[in-house]
Amino acid sequence: MADIKNKKIKRRSQWDEIWRRLRKNTGAMIGMAIVFVMVAVACSVDLIYDYDTEIIAQDIPNRYLEPCAEYWFGTDALGRDVFKRVVYGAKYSLLIGFMATVVSTAIALVLGSAAGYFGGKVDNLIMRFCDIWGAVPGLMLGMIIVSLLGPSIWNLIIAMGLGGISGKSRTVRAAVLTVRNSEYVESARSIGMPEWKIILKYILPNCMSPIIVAVTLGVAADIISASSLSFLGLGVQAPAPEWGAMLTSARENLRYYPYLAIFPGLAIMVTVLALNMFGDGLRDAMDPKLRR
Amino acid sequence: MAENMKNENLALDIQNLTIHYEVDGDIVEAVNDVSLQLENGKTLGLVGETGAGKTSTALAILKMIPDPPGIIKSGSITVCGHDVMKASKKELHAIRGKDVSMIFQDPMTSLNPVLTVGEQIAESVQLHEKGMSKSAALDRAMEMLETVGIPRERAFDYPHQFSGGMKQRVVIAIALACNPKLLLADEPTTALDVTIQAQVLDLMRKLREEYKMSMVMITHDLGIVAEVCDEVAVMYAGRIVERGTLREVFKNTKHPYTEGLFNSLPNPRDRKAELIPIPGLMPDPANLPQGCAFAPRCPYATEACTKAQPQPRKFSDTHTVLCTAYDDAGFHIRRNHNG
Amino acid sequence: MADIILQVENLKKYFKTPKGMLHAVDDVSFTIERGKTLGVVGESGCGKSTTGRAILRLLEPTGGKVLFDGVDVAQLDTKGMRKMRRNMQIVFQDPFSSLNPRMTVSQLIAEPIIQNKILTNKEDIEKRVAELMETVGLADRLVNTFPHELDGGRRQRIGIARALAMNPKFIVCDEPVSALDVSIQAQILNLLKKLQRELGLTYIFITHDLSVVNHFSDDIAVMYLGQIIEKAPTEELFAHPLHPYTQALLSAIPIPDVDIKEERILLKGEISSPINPPDACRFAKRCIYACEECRKKAPELTEVSPGHFVACPYYDKLVQQD
Repeated sequence: MADIKNKKIKRRSQWDEIWRRLRKNTGAMIGMAIVFVMVAVACSVDLIYDYDTEIIAQDIPNRYLEPCAEYWFGTDALGRDVFKRVVYGAKYSLLIGFMATVVSTAIALVLGSAAGYFGGKVDNLIMRFCDIWGAVPGLMLGMIIVSLLGPSIWNLIIAMGLGGISGKSRTVRAAVLTVRNSEYVESARSIGMPEWKIILKYILPNCMSPIIVAVTLGVAADIISASSLSFLGLGVQAPAPEWGAMLTSARENLRYYPYLAIFPGLAIMVTVLALNMFGDGLRDAMDPKLRR
Repeated sequence: MAENMKNENLALDIQNLTIHYEVDGDIVEAVNDVSLQLENGKTLGLVGETGAGKTSTALAILKMIPDPPGIIKSGSITVCGHDVMKASKKELHAIRGKDVSMIFQDPMTSLNPVLTVGEQIAESVQLHEKGMSKSAALDRAMEMLETVGIPRERAFDYPHQFSGGMKQRVVIAIALACNPKLLLADEPTTALDVTIQAQVLDLMRKLREEYKMSMVMITHDLGIVAEVCDEVAVMYAGRIVERGTLREVFKNTKHPYTEGLFNSLPNPRDRKAELIPIPGLMPDPANLPQGCAFAPRCPYATEACTKAQPQPRKFSDTHTVLCTAYDDAGFHIRRNHNG
Repeated sequence: MADIILQVENLKKYFKTPKGMLHAVDDVSFTIERGKTLGVVGESGCGKSTTGRAILRLLEPTGGKVLFDGVDVAQLDTKGMRKMRRNMQIVFQDPFSSLNPRMTVSQLIAEPIIQNKILTNKEDIEKRVAELMETVGLADRLVNTFPHELDGGRRQRIGIARALAMNPKFIVCDEPVSALDVSIQAQILNLLKKLQRELGLTYIFITHDLSVVNHFSDDIAVMYLGQIIEKAPTEELFAHPLHPYTQALLSAIPIPDVDIKEERILLKGEISSPINPPDACRFAKRCIYACEECRKKAPELTEVSPGHFVACPYYDKLVQQD
């Protein structure tokens, strides 16, 4: 009697639930904080630093300075402040990572949901294409595309984006398949809802969880690939302070000036680690098996 | 001495068992102060709805409560003379399977898909009969298959080659492979069709006689209880609210919740009879009311019921009820009055 | 003259499988009178749910006619079908998976009204949702909750409110209570009965639970491997089951009473799937009375007494075969 009335009716949408669980995951929260700081920094570097005078301007007398109070990360072969360059580099890595994932996810959403929802021949055709596409090593695919289109940030984004299609399409398709066969989709059909509306209103919103996780982890993977391509000289070109490109120039004198490689390397590692921790936390928070 | 004598006769003795689950800061009181004894050779029906604490009780008997989040807060469990709560890991492994076996609800997921059913039965035999050769164990496995009504050649088939009812037979064969003294069956036929259910229940009844086992049958189906059990314990919100012999609970029902269960069932003899559902819902086990947990849904509840936890009241040596209303000597529930 | 609302003629639904053609529903015919309930019972895989879905064209029928008030539903185009769905609704088995988890209770109930433009004014819709919630017994404080916050019984009430939102004449209830606990099951069964009385609904009640169907239906059709093998008024069927399968099925119900001990007819084996079925009685493999003839020719569903149909030519002279 009384106690039933007292029982609060909790109003929590699924997003609230996910956020509540995510908050409890320390690793994921640290990862998320780092990612947020990185994004904030990446968005504002052009306000903090002047690219021409602070990032690429040479200062030969001050070359190869060890890390000190004035130059936290030391200076490189051309006397540029490595700290500023690493901070500025966040812009490239995150821009490439996020944009490449946006490209691949957009294409994967179309391919994956078409394959999952319509099934049959459409499914077969799309998935075989993905099989072949996925069989080409990602780095090689990137190299081919960049050498065809020429090295530039945007070409790198396109290369990375195309490389991620096959895996993400598969994720989207699997998510759509589980939702497509659920009874609430049937229930939507039973009240006379047209197919396109079912896909938009019922299917896509309900398969967001695995896709969001794939996207987060995808950004991390794309950052690594982008740095690798830049390291090979196929991505962002010197003197732009892309982390991978910075590693390339540090390589020549690695023995004498290791800090030139350590700091950009750490930057890549921290970013990727933060994204992965955040992504893993998201997956745990969204996994229905952990739900009560 | 008297204590010891008594224990000899008991296949299962649970005293004041309390199990909590701690989930997201909430404490879910799954089992509250449950005491339960079962004599050798008897079959007990443990009845209740989803979330009543039936499965938690059964898992505690095997000390298999997932921890975390589950914690056995207090209580003792003695199975065939072994104190489960104090048993070491090694002793537990010996008790599980050898003294007590459990059958789970879903036969589809309780078999390993990459082993043949023969191998799976043989494996459980070998675990407990140390030194038994592989071929001897496989022989025993084939024997077990025949016991549960499956031709012995099928020992070399994989689980997916069996239908639902056949799989449940295989599960039973695994459970019985080591002649356990106590069998815990958690809704063993819920996933099966009626005609298959009838086959499996019939089989379990026969095997129980043959192996002189004690059995705890967890179910929500009072029909199954009437069919296979000697004794009944009705659980509600983690407590046993009524406990007695089959006849006592079915014919001389005392607890209002038990009455509510019977009234919710369609009457096979009078199909026009109106169903009388129990109003409301089972309370959230993370937020149990102060007094009797059933009071909010109980048609007979009085002020006193909501105040304090009811104390067990004996109506016979075997019949115990947890209900405050009987403090009033003139109290009786409607079911008894009419019938 | 009986007022027939739904007439199903030779309904077929086949599925292509790697092993061959699965005859999930094979030549099923029956009629339902307005305001009555037809119970469809059978074991899993007998085609009872497929029948319900084929009638509503949630699955496209392979063949046959479904006449709803004289209109053949199976022939309607997309637009006509969308209109027809207002009359024919379904309540699903699993209240946990049949509601879109991203929508609140009021959105769920309002959706069919908005989708079919039954009401367009926002206030009218709100009023109608409140009315429907009251009808199915959902407290109005639940209006903004999400289905995953509610128990099975309440979710099933949402499912029923959704089905009622378009004022249908006919509802297919596909195992509406089998996922619920007994005390909640009785609440939902009583609700469905009340709605039938008040709104003059016609039901097809699909279930595997014979005691529930006994309580709930006016007529019962027993299905086995895609076919109706017996159909009769409920009382007649329970008093005089004629088909050997029906007899076994009825005797298998566990009765919650210590004084009734029925002689059980135990069937051999289990239901198989009807893939490329031969021209024979589909039950013959498990039937203790099966004779040579049964394995040679499929029996027809014939009326043996008024309203009582059975698909066993030997129903009155069953002799146990070895």
